[in-house]
Amino acid sequence: MTARQSPLVAQHRALDAQFVDFGGWEMPISYPTGTIAEHMACRTSATAFDVSHLGSIRVEGDDAFARLQSTLTNDLGKVSPGRAQYTHLLDADDGSVRDDIIVWWHPRADDEPDVFDVMPNASNTERVVDALGGVDSTASRAVIAVQGPDARAIVATVFPEAGAVGRFRVAHCTWESTPCTVGGTGYTGEPGLEIAVPADAAGPLWDALMVAGITPAGLGARDTLRLEAGLPLHGHELGPGITPLQAGLNWVVAWDKPSFVGRDAAVAERERGVTRHLVGIATEGRRPAREGSVVRVDGDDVGVVSSGNFSPVLGHGIAMAFVPPEIGIGRPVTVDVRGKELDGSVVEMPFVPK
Amino acid sequence: MNIPDELRYSSDHEWISRDGNTVTIGITDYAQDSLGDVVFVELPEVGQDLAASDTFTEVESTKSVSDIYAPVSGTISEANPALEDQPELLNTDPYGEGWICRIEMSDPSQYDALLDAAAYRDLTEG
Repeated sequence: MTARQSPLVAQHRALDAQFVDFGGWEMPISYPTGTIAEHMACRTSATAFDVSHLGSIRVEGDDAFARLQSTLTNDLGKVSPGRAQYTHLLDADDGSVRDDIIVWWHPRADDEPDVFDVMPNASNTERVVDALGGVDSTASRAVIAVQGPDARAIVATVFPEAGAVGRFRVAHCTWESTPCTVGGTGYTGEPGLEIAVPADAAGPLWDALMVAGITPAGLGARDTLRLEAGLPLHGHELGPGITPLQAGLNWVVAWDKPSFVGRDAAVAERERGVTRHLVGIATEGRRPAREGSVVRVDGDDVGVVSSGNFSPVLGHGIAMAFVPPEIGIGRPVTVDVRGKELDGSVVEMPFVPK
Repeated sequence: MNIPDELRYSSDHEWISRDGNTVTIGITDYAQDSLGDVVFVELPEVGQDLAASDTFTEVESTKSVSDIYAPVSGTISEANPALEDQPELLNTDPYGEGWICRIEMSDPSQYDALLDAAAYRDLTEG
C-alpha cells in the first residue's frame, strides 16, 4: 500500500525534512535542526507539527450527540458546543481501548444542529467510523498543531482569531478568507492550538507560520514531548488488552453514564481491581529504556516498558511501564536494556512539570 | 553528504583513519544523519580484543539503537571520553570530535580491503 501524504508534503520537502511511515502516512520525523532542538523549541517558544495524519470524522445531525454519548466513554454532557473533549472508544467485550480520541464540538447557535469532528489516531479511523457513523473528511484538510508557551502569541501575529482560542475551546476562525476550525488542544504538555485548514490553503498558512518565527517539528519531537508530559500513545500505553483503568485514565470514563460501548467490562474491572497499572520510571544516566525492556523489583521481573526515551529537558532516561498495582511512587526498580541493568525509580508523571 | 577523500569506510557506515598500526574509527555523516540526534554512546572498553565485524558497542538516538561493528581486528587502545557527556558530537562533528575509539590492528591487511571514498559514495547513493 502506498503511504498517504499530507497536503503539506511540499512544505516538508522544501524544509528538507526526513520522513517516516506512521500509521500508513509518510510524515516528517524531523527537520535538519534535529529532534532535540525541536523538542526544546517547543518547551521554550513554539513549534508547528503537521498532524494531518490524525483522522477527522464529521458526525452531525439531530442524533449526533446521542450517538457519541452512547458510544464513547467520557460524558459529553459535561461540555457544550465550542468545546473539545478527550474520550475513548472501548472494546465491547473486554473493555480495552480501541482508540483514544479528541472530539471537537463545533460552536453553533441554539437553533442549529450539532456538528462534531471526531479525531482518532491515523490507523484507527476506520474502526471509529464503523462505531460512530459519520463521514471521513481527513483528506479534505490539513491539521497544524502549534504548541509551546509562545504558540498563541506568535499565531496571533498571522492569524489573530486563532491566537485567541482558549484551552480546550473550539472556534470557527477565518484566515485570509479561508474558513478554519481551531481547537485549543495538543499533545505536548504545552499550551497550544490545533488548526484544521482546508487542504488547498494549508501550504500558505504553514508558510506564514514559518515566517512568523515558529520552528517546524517532526514526529520524533512529538513523541519525546508527549513522553515527558506523561501522555499515552495508542499502540503503546493504550490498545488491545489495555483498559483506561490500567492506563490511569479513569477520569476519561463517565462511570455514572447509563451506557457506552464496553461499559460492562469496564465496571467489572473497576469492581475487581486492576492487575497492573501504568507508571513513570526515571532511570539514571543517558541510556534510555525502550519499549519491551523488562522492569525488575528486587531482581524479580514485574513488568514491561511501553515507551522509553531520553528526556531532553531532564537529561536522563524516562519510561512508562505496566507493573503490578502495589508498585507505586518512590519504589526503586531496575530496567533491563538489552542485558544492561539501569537503576531507576517510579516517579510522578508528568515527568516534566507544567 | 560529506565523505572525506582521505578516509576509508565500511559498509556499516563507519569511517576509518590510519596512523601506523592504529586506526581511529567513527560513524559517517550518512550514518549520523539517518540515526538522528544521538543521546548516548556506550564507551568501548579499552583493552577489549575484537575480530573484524564484531559488534562491540552501541549508539542510541532519539529514534533507535544502532550497533557499532569492528571494521578491523585488533585491540581497543583508546575511547573518546568526551562522548560520555556530549554524545551529540557524533552529529555535529562525526569525522572529528565525534570519533569513537582507536584500535591497534592485529591484521593490517584488513585495512586495505576497506572501501575508499568513491566506493563508499557509490554505496550511499546506490
